[in-house]
Amino acid sequence: MKFFSNITREARFLFKQKYLVGILTAVFALSLFSVWSGLSEMQTQSSTIERLKEKDRVDRENVLAKQSGYGSAAYYAFHLTYSEPSNLAFAAIGQRDVFPWKHRIRMLAIEGQIYETDADNPELSFLGRFDFAFLVSVLLPLFVILLLHDLRSSEREAGRYDLLITTAVKQKYLWLTRAFVLSASLALVLLVPFVIGAVISNASFVGTSLIVLVVFAHIVFWTLLIVWYTSNKMALKQNSTQVASALLSVWLMVSVLIPATTDVAIDKMVTSPNGGDILLVQREAVNDAWDLPDSVTWDAFLATHPQWKNYTDMGLTFEWKWYYAFQQVGDQKASELSEKYRQATLEKDTLASRLALLSPPMLTQRLMSSLAETDTQAAMQYEQNIRAYHNSLRHFYYPLMFTRAEFSLDKMSELPDFSQFSKK
Amino acid sequence: MSIISQITRDEWRFWKRTKIATTALIIGTLLALISAVVNTIEMEHATHEREHLQHTSESRFLEQPDRHPHRMVHYGHYVFRAPSPLSIIEPGVDAFTGTSIFLEGHRQNSAMFSEQRQASGMTRFSSLTPSFLLQVLVPLFIILIGYASITREKQAGTLNIMITQGVNLSHLLFGKYLALLCSGFLMLLPLVISAIWATTNGESVLLTSSFVAGYVLYILIWSGLVLAVSAMSKKSSASFAILVGMWIVFCILIPRIGSSSAAALAPSLGKLEADFAVLEELRKLGDGHNAADAAFEQLKKNLLAKYEVEKIEDLPINFRGSVAQYSEKKLTSVLNQFAEKRMEEELSQAQIARQFGWLTPTTAIRSFSMMIAGTSLETHHRFLREAENLRFEFVQSLNKIHQDTLDYQADINRHNDDKAARVNASNWQVLSEFSFKPDASTVRLASSTPYLIQLVLWGVIVIFGLRFAVRRIS
Repeated sequence: MKFFSNITREARFLFKQKYLVGILTAVFALSLFSVWSGLSEMQTQSSTIERLKEKDRVDRENVLAKQSGYGSAAYYAFHLTYSEPSNLAFAAIGQRDVFPWKHRIRMLAIEGQIYETDADNPELSFLGRFDFAFLVSVLLPLFVILLLHDLRSSEREAGRYDLLITTAVKQKYLWLTRAFVLSASLALVLLVPFVIGAVISNASFVGTSLIVLVVFAHIVFWTLLIVWYTSNKMALKQNSTQVASALLSVWLMVSVLIPATTDVAIDKMVTSPNGGDILLVQREAVNDAWDLPDSVTWDAFLATHPQWKNYTDMGLTFEWKWYYAFQQVGDQKASELSEKYRQATLEKDTLASRLALLSPPMLTQRLMSSLAETDTQAAMQYEQNIRAYHNSLRHFYYPLMFTRAEFSLDKMSELPDFSQFSKK
Repeated sequence: MSIISQITRDEWRFWKRTKIATTALIIGTLLALISAVVNTIEMEHATHEREHLQHTSESRFLEQPDRHPHRMVHYGHYVFRAPSPLSIIEPGVDAFTGTSIFLEGHRQNSAMFSEQRQASGMTRFSSLTPSFLLQVLVPLFIILIGYASITREKQAGTLNIMITQGVNLSHLLFGKYLALLCSGFLMLLPLVISAIWATTNGESVLLTSSFVAGYVLYILIWSGLVLAVSAMSKKSSASFAILVGMWIVFCILIPRIGSSSAAALAPSLGKLEADFAVLEELRKLGDGHNAADAAFEQLKKNLLAKYEVEKIEDLPINFRGSVAQYSEKKLTSVLNQFAEKRMEEELSQAQIARQFGWLTPTTAIRSFSMMIAGTSLETHHRFLREAENLRFEFVQSLNKIHQDTLDYQADINRHNDDKAARVNASNWQVLSEFSFKPDASTVRLASSTPYLIQLVLWGVIVIFGLRFAVRRIS
């Protein structure tokens, strides 16, 4: 019971101070804005995907109605792929503004298409978004510092310090209770808008709780750091601004300097093939095929698709099956480079996740976007989904083309649908 | 005058004694120096790499063997955007836009492989670029150095002593201002050196000096803000809290709120969705690969009438080449129309975000800096347009070769006798060299003017703030 009466006493004392209430109100407003803009962004993305699905279906039906063969059908029909925002994506937009989340592909060589990006406005990406994750990872420490740095020094400057120490039962409890009241109210004003947002967007209970946990952990880290720092001998001699400056420099270190230098370091540590080279290799392979004897294409194609070895006879005119065979061969030639490129991206991400342990703000941000499935991992998973889907298109068309099946629109209704590939 | 310089010197002496100011100054200057060096090396490397890639791409195109000209249309070509000299300080949107485009017939590809897509994702808030340091961190350092410059004197009672001794308050403030400015300029020094470096790399002196002038103004604004708040506060702790709060709002919050608001207020359709409309339009034009498409009936009639012949086969030119030329032209005008619309949308989003420069000097200096450095969205758009011009030019030249040089019968018969349906590789010389140059200095100065006005307005606000502070103390 003593604990609660302590808390209510401190709360009553603290909330009489106007500037504390001011800071908390401002944080509440910011949290509200970040949640609102995140929700509106994700709402736009979801409805865009719904609209695209419908347009894509109509467009493909129109195109297919005009076709008379599977070869040209595969050439002219585009297929929409997409990565739906998760229910928590509103809280952490993460890498979704850099990596694509929607893509239309057709049965040509995938390496030539997959790097096309329908990215967001580069200037807005450069300025950065104000999402909940940013608020929690970068700004939250600053709020904690503003609220807690003068725990002791303000009392000393007000001349109440000695009195407080002598009257408190145990002085450690006094500062801890005060820090607890302030951090708890900070957590409250931050999390209320977030939880409302999570309810609106139907987020899972587990995911929401985990994000709440991350926010708590980050607040606790900074609170403990500040309580520890303000209680050491050196800090006891400093005035409140000196304490705040020291804490600010810690913030500067972990949220600016460490991320920026680790980025440079990671870039040096991982060698990645130049993205342009993948396209170049693919392009040379595909274009050379027109000038090479057919057998070259067939040999390379049959190495991976032996089941069609009795179907490679070439007619007098252009053969679609040969055309798609050399598209496939182009992919095969570029696949090593492409895989290295993908691995390099993943390796950088893994390194970043380890080095993020040095920087609590970065760790927070990464955990949040990982929970919201907006991190690099999720983007790479989407890329793999596109590849798997593209592959299924090939599986669908190859038997039809190689056996010279009669074109029928009924058969086309069995085209694989991306929705089966969009799940993990 | 001597009083002012004495106050300035006193302030320096005080900083030397206290740790915070000196530490902040040393760290700030070192950071600015390191970032300038790292970024210069990286950008120089990028410049050489992109020039090299551009050169390789051109020679590969020229080295292609005898071919059917339309094969070369699909073989395509790469162009690379060379960074501007000042991007060693302000890389701007460079890391977020891809820097290369693949050009081919019948399509306008987007720029691919942006650096951010291959980055570790650690630099979404901060980066080690001189521009980030100067725009975001240097104000914080100025605050740490100067928040107590007047409140200190107030709390120690020395302010009243000085006033009773007849020290003019404006002189006092001016002396302190000078001292604070000097520390700001010290952190600006690496930028000035980088700017001189950029000048030796071919940037015009007028541009680099106005670039530096913009940052000088920015430092003048922040130093003035710090001094004004310090003069108006009663206690150092209050001055500190207010200034750090202002820093959070001005340097971090408002720029991002601007970007989020722009995305919410002017949502853009996205390329993918616009492409449906493009495809719809394009289908009406007919497929240029199929000369028998009904869409080319009128072209056929006109050509037959022009050359006074009855059949396509009798034309002195290759009809398939004419169709390719005709349809590429139509298609390009549709593509351009949609591309322009998209660029307009992007630009209007950026314009909204830039209007937040009226609310914070940080957004103002950022827009100004990108404009002058030639690393803004507009420059990227110009790159897209120039790349498109090159694409259209070489594709049409190849189509013309198709029309004038390749025999129609051989062309029709290409699936049976593929060797006869080729033209000499010397024809590939039609490709012109691509070298992307930054905008002329007058253009960049003109487009940066609105943001300079924003900065000047902030300067005026600060002057008024300081005058108000003087009146309030006395």
